Amino acid sequence: MEFSELIYTGRAQAELLRGGEAPRLRGTLCVTGHHLLLSPEPQSTPDLWLLLLRSVDSVEKRVAGDSGTITLRCKDLRVLQLDIEGVETTLDIARSIEALSSLESVITSFPFFYRPKGLRLGDAWHFHPPERYYKRVARETTAWRLSEVNQDFSLCPSYPRAVIVPRTVDDDALARCARFRQGGRFPVLSYHHAPTGTVLLRSSQPLAGPQKKRCAEDEELLAAVLACGPPGARGFIVDTRSAQAAKQARLTGGGTEAKAAYPGWRRLHRPLERGRPLQESFMRLVKACGDTEQSMDLWLSRLESCHWLAHVKEALTTACLAAQGMEREGACILVHGTEGTDNTLLVTSLAQLILDPLSRTMTGFQELVEREWIQAGHPFQLRCAHSAFSHTRPKHEAPTFLLFLDCVWQLSRQFPLSLEFGEGLLLTLFEHAYASSFGTFLCNSEKERCLCEVRTRTHSLWSALNQAKEQRKLRNPLYVLNPLTIWPSVEPQSLRLWQGMFLRWSRPPESSEVVWEKVWQIVAEGEKTEGAQPTASASA
Amino acid sequence: MGCFLRARLSHSWELQEQRVSSMAAASTSKYNSHSLENESIKRMSREGGNQDLSETVPRLPGEMLITDKEVIYICPFNGPIKGRVYITNYRLYLRSLETDSALILDVPLGVISRIEKMGGASSRGENAYGLDITCKDLRNLRFALKQEGHSRRDMFESLMKYAFPLAHSLGLPNHHWRITFINKCYELCDTYPALLVVPYRTSDDDLRRVATFRSRNRIPVLSWIHPENKTVIVRCSQPLVGMSGKRNKDDEKYLDAIRETNRQISKLTIYDARPSVNAVANKATGGGYESDDAYHNAELSFLDIHNIHVMRESLKKVKDIVYPNVEESHWLSSLESTHWLEHIKLVLTGAIQVADKVSSGKSSVLVHCSDGWDRTSQLTSLAMLMLDSFYRTIEGFEILVQKEWISFGHKFASRIGHGDKNHADADRSPIFLQFIDCVWQMLKQFPTAFEFNERFLVTILDHLYSCRFGTFLFNCESARERQKVMERTVSLWSLTNSNKEKFKNPFYTKEINRVLYPVASMRHLELWVNYYIRWNPRIKQQQPNPVEQRYMELLALRDDYIKRLEDLQLANSAKLSAASSSPPNSSQMMSHLQTQF
Repeated sequence: MEFSELIYTGRAQAELLRGGEAPRLRGTLCVTGHHLLLSPEPQSTPDLWLLLLRSVDSVEKRVAGDSGTITLRCKDLRVLQLDIEGVETTLDIARSIEALSSLESVITSFPFFYRPKGLRLGDAWHFHPPERYYKRVARETTAWRLSEVNQDFSLCPSYPRAVIVPRTVDDDALARCARFRQGGRFPVLSYHHAPTGTVLLRSSQPLAGPQKKRCAEDEELLAAVLACGPPGARGFIVDTRSAQAAKQARLTGGGTEAKAAYPGWRRLHRPLERGRPLQESFMRLVKACGDTEQSMDLWLSRLESCHWLAHVKEALTTACLAAQGMEREGACILVHGTEGTDNTLLVTSLAQLILDPLSRTMTGFQELVEREWIQAGHPFQLRCAHSAFSHTRPKHEAPTFLLFLDCVWQLSRQFPLSLEFGEGLLLTLFEHAYASSFGTFLCNSEKERCLCEVRTRTHSLWSALNQAKEQRKLRNPLYVLNPLTIWPSVEPQSLRLWQGMFLRWSRPPESSEVVWEKVWQIVAEGEKTEGAQPTASASA
Repeated sequence: MGCFLRARLSHSWELQEQRVSSMAAASTSKYNSHSLENESIKRMSREGGNQDLSETVPRLPGEMLITDKEVIYICPFNGPIKGRVYITNYRLYLRSLETDSALILDVPLGVISRIEKMGGASSRGENAYGLDITCKDLRNLRFALKQEGHSRRDMFESLMKYAFPLAHSLGLPNHHWRITFINKCYELCDTYPALLVVPYRTSDDDLRRVATFRSRNRIPVLSWIHPENKTVIVRCSQPLVGMSGKRNKDDEKYLDAIRETNRQISKLTIYDARPSVNAVANKATGGGYESDDAYHNAELSFLDIHNIHVMRESLKKVKDIVYPNVEESHWLSSLESTHWLEHIKLVLTGAIQVADKVSSGKSSVLVHCSDGWDRTSQLTSLAMLMLDSFYRTIEGFEILVQKEWISFGHKFASRIGHGDKNHADADRSPIFLQFIDCVWQMLKQFPTAFEFNERFLVTILDHLYSCRFGTFLFNCESARERQKVMERTVSLWSLTNSNKEKFKNPFYTKEINRVLYPVASMRHLELWVNYYIRWNPRIKQQQPNPVEQRYMELLALRDDYIKRLEDLQLANSAKLSAASSSPPNSSQMMSHLQTQF
């Protein structure tokens, strides 16, 4: 389909209100296939204003007299208002935005057309996280191997081509395990904790069903995991569902690992909210944050009734539990829920941040997101199809990735020096997960990305972020390597609403940005002077 | 800081008069002292190397540029010279901008004895508008400025502030306000300070008559005057209106006199801190508020801040949900049910209204509650903190507390119950704590605006109860005087001032003339966890603040690099002058390359 068919009126005179302190912009509004453009009248600012249509979450239109108003609520939680001359024009433009912002086709999306200056296609796509991570594991232990059993994605469509498994388990056994796990997601290594020699694994639920089926290879695999661990290692299976829900899953063919079948393993249930309730919690929170009418005195109970902070607390608590098992009890941990593509990843990635200093570096964190979310098959396209403002009934949408980012933010607030990246990176990842000019968060799995040739036909967000000019926005200038485990406090008093995210567009007059600016200046001055020193002595 | 710097660097005086003749070879003798003139003429020597002296203002360690401005220096010897003046926290430095003169003035601020404005915005004649600075070293410096947009204000205020750091002068007395000694022996009002500032044209007899109509004789007196628009904040207690609706001509006249100290304003704004219901109820006990009929030129609003009993109960509830165990299951709604943050919001909102009225020049403001020593102190001091950057320094904040709370008779002894075993005394209330909490909320919202840090506030609160210092003992100044507190005790400020580094906010950026309006919305107010829940071992307590700590490290590291760079440059220039051209020692180079940042 041609975009032009969806553009009913291409041009209009309009005025844009961006909220906060940003000045109004007046000028000519244009709708293109992927963008909304406003070229301001010559006397005002010369900069072109540009909005990726994909980032529009909902469109509301209102007409009065001979003009109209369109309110655009964006996926990054911004609210924009366009005052447009002409009733017909307004309605046409609103229709165009609605249609163009919700196109489902991946290969006609903007990343396939975006060719930014200074970046080369294919850059940064070449890093293959599982392979790269395996190199690190191989330096630490020989008990694990890289298997390419999923080379053609036939075993598990949501796994990458290569996965890390116990050396003693061969590919045939893996194939049989895959058949016993939902979506083929058999247990694979997520993280090897070198200090204690324990491991973190993830999978989906076993397909035990009402007859409590068993699978010898699956049992052997988990036994092999314990054998790889420290002598006498125990194992914990952290199930992200309640015991009740896990039991009920048997009726639909799923279930849990039977105790007798997996000696040495113990099951723990830590129910985490997912799917629609989580999405609704997000929507309620955003609504509460944007509500200027309500009596402010009831803010705290309203915030509480959104339950968002409770979800943050539960996610961090479960991650701490997994980390504690590995660090303090010398135990191996397997995490799964139902599909193993949402809360499972939330828990494994947070546990790594808590335990592993390398994952708290700029590169380490990017690799963690790539490996534990994108490659691990978190269905970004489904989960992030809509954000908090959408009027359509949520289907597969859920802000699990945002919840992860919020938890990371809580860690960064409690350990302000221990993460090499700052709030800027988290906000950027949130924006790009929901709407992006880059291909990084496209599709639901590695398999789909291969089919769409995302790697060769779009640019990677990582290479854009790693340009020198972006660093100031993304890095934490106070960072010092902290080799220790960072145990967060999960008391409700220690967890805060992430104002930088949820009150981003209505923040207090002066936020901590001023402080960061000062720190950056000092860091830059220090680096400059340090750089000058050898030169000075060389000139002697 | 200014004083300290000045004392430490007094020897640099001698460097002040320097003259480098254009004829002299710069390399041999750089400075020839000439003591007959105070102007130093510097000319760049053509062989003087590439170091462009004309671009730099000499800077001592710790010296900071405050402001700079283009001026005409009216030299009594050579006539007007166009130049740029730089004011630092240590000196006034002027460099000529004219090509044929290389005049330099370098005057430490300690030399200044008096600063006067000359001419007004409408003065005629060339160079009639500007500043005249009288120096202790027998000279005067006259600067003329452009007659537009208050061009001298910035320079005048910076000089006043840094040349006379001891007196943060509100410019009093002036034509409209006088200092009265009517309360010298606390005979007018025993809970007020000895010195009071009142409208110029109100006599002491008038004041005595006003006192009869104000609860506990706490008459309206000046707290703060806006340096530009001359609107004021005045504080007092409630009028004794009573059930019968009594009036007092002197009080009415007095409020009008306050209003008229600024001719531009037609209404005096009265902020009654109480909820209107309570104000009405107070009539039953002889109190009340200013009625519209009696006070034609005043506009009264109620700020809905509750009384000491409500605040005490609210804090009790806070304690219940945080100690010993923190209420976990419904933390936010439990917190809401204490209403503590709601009270904080109302106090801040009230103070913002006061500050806004005065800052906009729309009206002068009179603040009272019932007795004018609890809510009134909160409102005036918070408004002053928002309006006047001086009070955001360590020293300024101490003065603010000393003035608006201690001198004006906030009943510390009764509110805290120093030494009293009667724990259920209804007179006790955490009013001062609530004020400090409001200050903390402002600190959070303006991380660079305050010279002090969270630790400073916690320390003040700790010693509010400790009784180790005399600062918060007794209820008022007269009692303190009777008990000879000044002679018999040490002040808390002597502790804080001798440990200033510990209490400094490293992110502080000096700003003059900036009014801070915090966001007093529940969304942006937070429970002060580091104070209220500090005893709970499960709450992460990081003291000193790791961010501040790390920033100080970075600062130190940078200074170290700069110093080493300077040393190297010095060593290099020494080597160069020794005409040695040996290649650099490679191992020495490596050691520099390896230093980590």
